Amino acid sequence: MAEIGHGGKEIVERIMEPSEAKEKIKGLKQVPIRSQIANEVIGISYGFFSPLEGFMGKADLDSVCKKMRLANGIVWSIPILFDMSEAELSDYGIKEGDSIVLTYQDNPFALFEVEEIYEYDKKEICQAVYGTTEDKHPGCARTYAYKDKFLGGKITLVNRPKINPPFDPYFIPPLEMRKRFKEKGWVRIVAHQTRNVPHTGHEWLMKGAWLQTYGELSIEKPIVGVLVNAIIGEKRKGDYIDEAIILCQDELRKAGYFGDHNHMTSLTFWDMRYAGPKEAVFHAILRTNLGLTHHMYGRDHAGVGTYYGPYDAHKLLESVKDELGITPVYSMNWLYCPHCGEVTSEGLCNHRDEWQKFSGTVIRSIVMDGVKPPRLIFRPEVFDLVMECAEKYGFGSPFVTDEYLEKRTPVFSVEPLE
Amino acid sequence: MAEERYPINIWVNEERYEKLREAGLADLCEEMLAGLKVIRVYANDAQKDKILKAFPTAKFDSATTKSIELLPKDVKDKMFDLIVQKKSVEILDEFLSNY
Repeated sequence: MAEIGHGGKEIVERIMEPSEAKEKIKGLKQVPIRSQIANEVIGISYGFFSPLEGFMGKADLDSVCKKMRLANGIVWSIPILFDMSEAELSDYGIKEGDSIVLTYQDNPFALFEVEEIYEYDKKEICQAVYGTTEDKHPGCARTYAYKDKFLGGKITLVNRPKINPPFDPYFIPPLEMRKRFKEKGWVRIVAHQTRNVPHTGHEWLMKGAWLQTYGELSIEKPIVGVLVNAIIGEKRKGDYIDEAIILCQDELRKAGYFGDHNHMTSLTFWDMRYAGPKEAVFHAILRTNLGLTHHMYGRDHAGVGTYYGPYDAHKLLESVKDELGITPVYSMNWLYCPHCGEVTSEGLCNHRDEWQKFSGTVIRSIVMDGVKPPRLIFRPEVFDLVMECAEKYGFGSPFVTDEYLEKRTPVFSVEPLE
Repeated sequence: MAEERYPINIWVNEERYEKLREAGLADLCEEMLAGLKVIRVYANDAQKDKILKAFPTAKFDSATTKSIELLPKDVKDKMFDLIVQKKSVEILDEFLSNY
């Protein structure tokens, strides 16, 4: 049976078998790509970005900017673009109608059928997508860093990436993910978007969203799950290392705060744009394709600085919810109340003067100061694993350092095409 | 209107607590988040901006706690030592004069 993704379109993996690929790419021009583009090639070819079949042409980009829709009318909020400079186009001799091989880590990775080469005002993209043209907004900075020409056309993966340990069990593309959900017997699955090592505020966001998602369903057997979908992409110094994020998220299940019957951890390759409301819609699309039925959104989802109001994402989602294949679940913050002696929801507890709010940033600060947070705030199994990851993967630090950026094992490798 | 003040949380581990106790300053600690000891140094707007500029890894948690976080440990150690030396949390002017 066809698996239907975002926009009502069937999810189709755009992946060529190696024997066919070897023949197909023979003699084609080879163009190396950077990690952001490699992440997006994976997103397109495995169906995370369905119904996209490649990098956007001008009609799609224009429509995304002006209407938050693809040219065919399907809701889409973030441009997926392939850029090159005029000089590179000339040096490689690339023109519309060419097929080229995208290489990553010096090996063939994907076939790119270049249908269109065009220009677009980057400031217009920024204003439309991020609501600002300030280059200190990380999404704008990424947009301004694009070279001056965009290439649109279909992508087909010719060489599957090898996902390196410890990430390999967590790369579960849409078609495989949907099989797993069926095996578990889950009829509703709620997404938890993360780039963080979980503290108990996150744990309760998940637990709260699970309860909200369960709603009127029968409780005779477990039929609702939480999917942690960690975004793995470009790292900044001071972030938690990727290994700590993915392993600690899974540790909540392994240590019994959740179980196999209601919790699973996975990853998606994506370089965050911090587009707030627009990124929230994009996350809804990603998780629809992964087969989820619900998506949890807290305050200020995927925002940065003070560019967006805390509920802007919720409002934008509401405006298109009939066209999304996923139901948003809105969550209030969880905090510590010394009067209650527990982590509680700001929507429940009324000891407002006593509330102690905490965030991932605060917990990172505590860990950086060499202090072990109390178990009500940060689970001891998670803390111990963070420290283990620091030794095993982080060159002594659980946070990204220059040394980590230089020496870490990549999350995935592209090997020679056999 | 009172000027906005933003806390820098100096989380107190056993080693720091011992130094405070020896200096008779254990009372400077507040208790937060289910038993964590913390000393809070408050910055005004100008000091906040200076700190964020001088220490690029530092972050102002604008969404949740309105506090200045992620200062490197050695920076917080220096602030902590100054607090012990001055027997006061009013140390930011002097601390920032070096930056």
